[in-house]
Amino acid sequence: MTSKFRSTLWRVLTMQVVALGLLWWLQSHYAA
Amino acid sequence: MHWINWAVVVAYLVIVVGDSLRRTRGTKNIEGYFLANRSLPWWAVGLSVMATQLSAITLIGTTGQGATDGLKFVQFYFGLPIAMVILGVTLVPFLHRAKVYTAYEFLERRFDAKTRSLTSLLFLLSRGMSCGTIIAAPSVVLSSIFGWNLAWCVALIGVPTVTYTVLGGVQAVAWADVKQMFVVAGAMCSIIAVLILRMPIPLDDALHIAGAAGRLQVFDFSFDLSRTYTFWSGILGGTFLMLSYFGTDQSQVQRYLAAKSVDEARSSLLMSAYWKIPLQALILLTGVLVFLFYLFTPAPLLYNPRHSAVVQAREPALFADLQARYASAIALRQQSARDVAAIRHGGDAGAIRAAIEQFRTTEAGVTSLRTEALAAAARVTGEASRDVNYIIPRFVVEQLPLGLAGLFLAAVLGAAMASVAAELNSLSTATIIDFYQRWVRPTASDAHFLMVSKVSTAVWGVFACVVATYAATLGSLIEVVNRFGSFFYGSILGIFLLAMIPRARALGAFIGLLCGMGAVAAVAIWIPSVSFLWHNLIGAVVVVLVGLALSAFGAGPRTATATATATA
Repeated sequence: MTSKFRSTLWRVLTMQVVALGLLWWLQSHYAA
Repeated sequence: MHWINWAVVVAYLVIVVGDSLRRTRGTKNIEGYFLANRSLPWWAVGLSVMATQLSAITLIGTTGQGATDGLKFVQFYFGLPIAMVILGVTLVPFLHRAKVYTAYEFLERRFDAKTRSLTSLLFLLSRGMSCGTIIAAPSVVLSSIFGWNLAWCVALIGVPTVTYTVLGGVQAVAWADVKQMFVVAGAMCSIIAVLILRMPIPLDDALHIAGAAGRLQVFDFSFDLSRTYTFWSGILGGTFLMLSYFGTDQSQVQRYLAAKSVDEARSSLLMSAYWKIPLQALILLTGVLVFLFYLFTPAPLLYNPRHSAVVQAREPALFADLQARYASAIALRQQSARDVAAIRHGGDAGAIRAAIEQFRTTEAGVTSLRTEALAAAARVTGEASRDVNYIIPRFVVEQLPLGLAGLFLAAVLGAAMASVAAELNSLSTATIIDFYQRWVRPTASDAHFLMVSKVSTAVWGVFACVVATYAATLGSLIEVVNRFGSFFYGSILGIFLLAMIPRARALGAFIGLLCGMGAVAAVAIWIPSVSFLWHNLIGAVVVVLVGLALSAFGAGPRTATATATATA
């Protein structure tokens, strides 16, 4: 596994955490 | 539609086809035609991977699904980033270093010719037919929205796509995909901006109403095998589905085989992993905003204009009665939505709860009337309603400002063309490399192979257009082929997983493949409540277990090439 792959992988994981976090916030904040 | 919208569509088609034809000059041999001489940068391959997966019906059907069901469909894609990472460290280096044209070619090096030919044939059977449905689905929608003949709509998508795919090969396909992804992203962002600007109440209040209607519910943690979209089916079933699709389907594998290097191929998949969930959530959120828009603007009873006209003509009394009841139901819903927005600012908790309950009751009333109308449309027309696919096209044509409707139509055409072009290119590659070159004519000049590759692409293109034109007549046949296709998707993944296990033998793998397909067929027939997302996992696991068990008992020799490839 090259360092370029590891850094890209890290960015991908960060984006997924941010995206899922936003969706979670959207669901819980606007739940009636 | 205004002529400026049509001008946008025509300009887009001219640019895509013109630029693709310009790129045909570099195509002199089949490696150039099928794999762009393995020279494409990671970002172009990544956009091409995403464009291939995003078909026109995803664009219009998924946004419609967002309007009717909300965001929960995004769970379907939760396994995609996981699958991309797994493929990046396992299959991609294997396939790229093996210097193959098709994924199935690798199976002959690892196992034997019959395993390669069977998997390639299964790909040709399912993808050949599904290519027709990829053209048919948006064509049927366009035909109904604009009142055009279906054959003309098929030609509008099919002719430019077949032209640039035949002449330019993968170079033309990949660079057209890049442009198409930008147009799709531009169109979606523009629609979202228009929807937000035209919302009659503040966005925060509107989103609270969407939450009250259940449209912002994303996560479902129940472990129920009969529910299609749950967190677990997305993470487990979705991972196996995406592993099968991106790891073993030639239409996707061919994208990253065209990358410059293993690193570039990996990066292209990670690009898709990076963007897929946010993009899909954005597409569904567009649907949710359209739902909110139609709370305050009179919505059609039936979004499919042809079905609406047929019901009105054949059963005018029923239609008038439904229309009248629907008009009063949507007026009540609009008032209750405004009450929720107003009472949020200053009302006590009890009053807010009561307003939300009132809104939910009126929303249920509207949904029930729509269900009644859809059932009437299905009965009168004798066709499945699929009204959800018409929500966004109707909104675009009737509500978007000048130019943007054209941009959205260009995005729909672009999405259809990107998917179809990738399919045609991969169908031709499998036909020529796995069958013509393998069994009919192993040695010939590059010029000969290039010529037959172009002929093969054209033949598959014509076949896809014919299937699309007669899709309504061929409906049950297409359904059977798609269902049959779902039986072996996970099993093919199982074969590729076996290929990476050194102790697996050829005969064990072949029998394992047949057992995997049989197991999925048995589950689909006898336990139909199990959601299709689990079929891939079942197929893959059965193939690996049976293949390893038979290999352990020494069924079949292990080839010398296999050893060399597996340890490469």
